[in-house]
Amino acid sequence: MTTAAANTVDDDLWSAIGDPTRRRMLDLLLVDGDGTATTLSRQLPVTRQAVAKHLGVLGRVGLVRATPASREKRYRVDDAQLARAVAQLSSVGSAWDARLQRIKRIAEAIERRQRN
Amino acid sequence: MEFGTIEREIYVEASPEIVFEVVSSPDHLKRWWPDDARYEPSPGATGEIVFGDRDADGAVVAFTVVEARPPRTFSFRWTHPADEVAAEGNSLLVTFDLTPARGGTLLKMTETGFREMGWEIAVLEQQYREHITGWDFYLPRLAPYVATLETRS
Repeated sequence: MTTAAANTVDDDLWSAIGDPTRRRMLDLLLVDGDGTATTLSRQLPVTRQAVAKHLGVLGRVGLVRATPASREKRYRVDDAQLARAVAQLSSVGSAWDARLQRIKRIAEAIERRQRN
Repeated sequence: MEFGTIEREIYVEASPEIVFEVVSSPDHLKRWWPDDARYEPSPGATGEIVFGDRDADGAVVAFTVVEARPPRTFSFRWTHPADEVAAEGNSLLVTFDLTPARGGTLLKMTETGFREMGWEIAVLEQQYREHITGWDFYLPRLAPYVATLETRS
């Protein structure tokens, strides 16, 4: 596996999830199952308007999906897209773990050859 | 840990001279990271690393050596646009620091620049690892979800 993690990372997805308010919103949606801009803004130190804007960003990258409710849209987290985000996230760190293990193996093999 | 940085440390049972060679020379780099590497391992030298087949749909990535002080430090920038000079804000900076320890080498790797590039990966990774925010909600939900994907395919 030699894919350049930095090149395959989806910039939009990352900047969407990089914001702490939006991460908190994802948490709330996961815990509650779903929510609207109104219900979310009650649990956050930001206005309903700001929450609606953040939901827009999350919606554009597919992290949340909206269903029209009686008066305002009701949002749920998209499990597949979230799984993708988490996989990318852990791949950056674990990619280096794997590279360093290979560096270790190569260097130690050279060291052993030189000693013998 | 500095915000926006990935840090790793590993103990290698080999001399700093050997480890330096492995982390800095293009021939060795190819064995632990890209499929091809072309650069001079000297400060300021520019080159490229290639993932996959250069002539097919492989990815050619710019690579610029920043520091090369054997056998202590080797650092480089990568992912900058090929026609731009590598600098903070357009690339990721990888630094290898080597310290003699217990007859071998303590190899420390840091990668910075994520935040400057607007990705925030390192910040997320930190929170992911430390479960500072809600990532601990995500994981219990992900495992069953991933399991359903596996049975489907």
